[in-house]
Amino acid sequence: MKKHFLFLFAAAMLLSACKEIAPAVTGSMGGDNTENPVEDQLRQVIIEEFTGVRCVQCPAGSATIQDLLGQHGERLVAVSIHAGGFSPPYPASEYDFRTAEGDQLINYLDPPFSFPSAVVNRKLYPGQTDRQLDQGDWAGFIASELAIAPKVRINIEPDFASSSRELKAKVTLYVDEAITDPDVRLSLMITESDIKDLQLVPSSSTPIPDYTHRHVLRGMLTNYDGDQLTETLSDGSVIEKSFSFTMPADWDENHCEIVAVVSLAGTNKDVLQAHQVHVVE
Amino acid sequence: MIPRFWLPILLLMLSFQAATAQEADNEKENTNQGRISGNLQLNGNFFMRDSLIGAANTPQYDRQLFGADSWLNLNYQNWGFDVGIRFDMFNNSNLLNPLGSFTGVGIGRWYVSKKINKLGITGGYIYDIIGSGIIFRAYEERALAIDQALYGIKTTYDLGENWKIKGFVGRQKQQFSSYSSVIRGGSIDGFVGSDSSKVTLAPGFGVVARTLDDNSMNNLVATLNTYSKADVVEMFPDTLGKEGPNYNAYAASFYNTLTAGPFTWYLEAALKSKEVIFDPFAKRYTVSGDTVLGRYVNKPGSVLYTSLSFAKKGLGLTVEGKRTENFDFRTRPQELGVRGLMHYIPPMTRMNTYRLLARYAAATQFIGEQAFQVDASYKVNKKLNLTANFSNITNLDGDQLYREILAEAYYKYQKKWTLTTGVQLQDYNLEVYFGKPGAAPAKTITPYFDFLYKFNPKTSIRFESQYMIMSEEHGELSDYGSWVFGLVEFTLAPHWAVTVSDMYNRDPGKASPIDPKTGEQAKIHYPRFDVYYTHKANRLSISYVKQVQGVVCSGGVCRLEPAFSGVKMSINSTF
Repeated sequence: MKKHFLFLFAAAMLLSACKEIAPAVTGSMGGDNTENPVEDQLRQVIIEEFTGVRCVQCPAGSATIQDLLGQHGERLVAVSIHAGGFSPPYPASEYDFRTAEGDQLINYLDPPFSFPSAVVNRKLYPGQTDRQLDQGDWAGFIASELAIAPKVRINIEPDFASSSRELKAKVTLYVDEAITDPDVRLSLMITESDIKDLQLVPSSSTPIPDYTHRHVLRGMLTNYDGDQLTETLSDGSVIEKSFSFTMPADWDENHCEIVAVVSLAGTNKDVLQAHQVHVVE
Repeated sequence: MIPRFWLPILLLMLSFQAATAQEADNEKENTNQGRISGNLQLNGNFFMRDSLIGAANTPQYDRQLFGADSWLNLNYQNWGFDVGIRFDMFNNSNLLNPLGSFTGVGIGRWYVSKKINKLGITGGYIYDIIGSGIIFRAYEERALAIDQALYGIKTTYDLGENWKIKGFVGRQKQQFSSYSSVIRGGSIDGFVGSDSSKVTLAPGFGVVARTLDDNSMNNLVATLNTYSKADVVEMFPDTLGKEGPNYNAYAASFYNTLTAGPFTWYLEAALKSKEVIFDPFAKRYTVSGDTVLGRYVNKPGSVLYTSLSFAKKGLGLTVEGKRTENFDFRTRPQELGVRGLMHYIPPMTRMNTYRLLARYAAATQFIGEQAFQVDASYKVNKKLNLTANFSNITNLDGDQLYREILAEAYYKYQKKWTLTTGVQLQDYNLEVYFGKPGAAPAKTITPYFDFLYKFNPKTSIRFESQYMIMSEEHGELSDYGSWVFGLVEFTLAPHWAVTVSDMYNRDPGKASPIDPKTGEQAKIHYPRFDVYYTHKANRLSISYVKQVQGVVCSGGVCRLEPAFSGVKMSINSTF
């Protein structure tokens, strides 16, 4: 019996080993409000959240994204895509946030395992089985993406005519490092924030009417997976693209943003750079 | 990829080569014979869109129309070696993610095992358990896409006739890869007494540790650094800004089975060191001023589980109790649902098999649960058997999560017919188990019967029916409301069985689908038709299925399962 407990003691010693040095945690240290002008543009990361007005847990995901935006400022771009089983509006909903592009993007970027769920820079990260990430992985992968220097910088010049509601956007890409991937695409999205409408939340058995929806994908000026860039993306090249679009009357231009994304296509869908500006400055 | 793919094949070839070499040596003695065995499981699903019941808007219903999963397992034993390999295939499969589609083919498992005197060695993908699994269980549950195999090495050593020690180290399997966190552990198991002893003991003690990988820790720290000060101060009150979450988490358990005459008493007590886990019910105060549910907490965990059984002269009695507090033990804390679990906490409810009785299943709550169950059966005579079950689950604040009362009688008339009949009462917390905010509990009364009539030893017919009466909430029936279920099964032994059944939402509830034509909750039929053919160890089936969404549980683990509409085919073969 004594021998048995010697084994036990040895095993316990091996398992416990020495005291470890744990990493420091500070909690939120406030936001990064510094501007990120195109001349010295650092890496900007896009988080595409999949959500729905019938998804009771999704407001927690949206709140997390607000905290991340507060932390990273202009360097984080958020898009909330209403797609999937929780996205059909209620009969009393004022808006239907679903879009044809959103329905395609949820399949293009892998359907979520659970909600809330988001894709960060459309990347399949090591140790993950698909692009969709649970909340606990958002902050870490955003931080790791922000540390990478961008290969391309993006500038967007919006021009909105309130009388005709025509939105023109000139997108300029500055290539800082040759991109040799065979299929590179530019996506242009319109998002809208501060929309009050029904949303299911944990504190109520019925949807609340005055929930503030943010960064809602309203439409795209390109294909859902972007328009292919046919130009040579050599170091130093500058590519200009122009878009025009008539905004529907029920979109509030004062709360709309234009989001530009340069990404790869095919098996590797990684985003190289993202950028966002207000429709009306 | 290439080394990973070839390694198991190489090991198998080496094993066979070794076997061949030894075969030559031993040919004269002709004492050893190799044994090869295996099994195949193949499931094919044809998806037929039915938007009304929610069987829609997934890649399978939209465009793929077909998905298949398969596992082909081969084992070979010879000269003390035991080697095995399993070929896994997922084609447009919705098993891993019911809302998604996964395609992947590869070696899902391989292992090599050898016993050298008292020393046992196993390498590869290992399935194992410590105690009842509370601190460690590496197992597979295909119906729920659970494969918690440990990819590593296990050794065992016989300390004597009745004592054995084991140790293991490795990483948890993640489909065709593995998680990066390192898991290690061991246990000592013994037996005190003899076959003739009136009192025997089977004590054991186990320890498991997990070391988080750097990427997971970096993500965890990044997430905690978005939390408000109030939330992180609560997690690390004395070390904020200095020391945060630990890489290493430890769990230990002591367990013992005492047998004394008709009594069997199992006791297991487990503790887990303080580590960061996700508590879905904890309030988080965001920096932007919102209050949301769900955040990481830094707490130690514990489980106390006991089971006392008595069996004598037709009377069987089992009393179980369990208390769980913050015992969510995963390979990384970011994993949710059934993903990344390193352990298994036994459920404390009756495992119901009848369709409506099993509709509301209580999944084990890792954060906090107090559970109690009594199961009694009494054989009145050769014809009549009575069963009663009571289970009650609350959270640690005493809030009701689940209650079930069941009474059942089984009557056998000669060899001609049998009747099973009973009634089940349930109180099911929809807010916790289904995540429905503010929903009143589903309180159900479900009478049922099962009648089997044998025309002759080979031919029989079976009728089964249940009627679930649902409680009301503010004038509406809770959840899906009331159901009626009926089934007829005709069996021509030993080969054929045909089943026809229907689950009918007779009185729809507030969650029942709304018919777009009428704008009212629809009374929907969920029919099912099955044909089974069995030949020796081979079983084939084809089924037309319409299945309502719900919680699917297997082995005490549950997950939300969407509705299904289509045709299912399966082949199960053992050779």
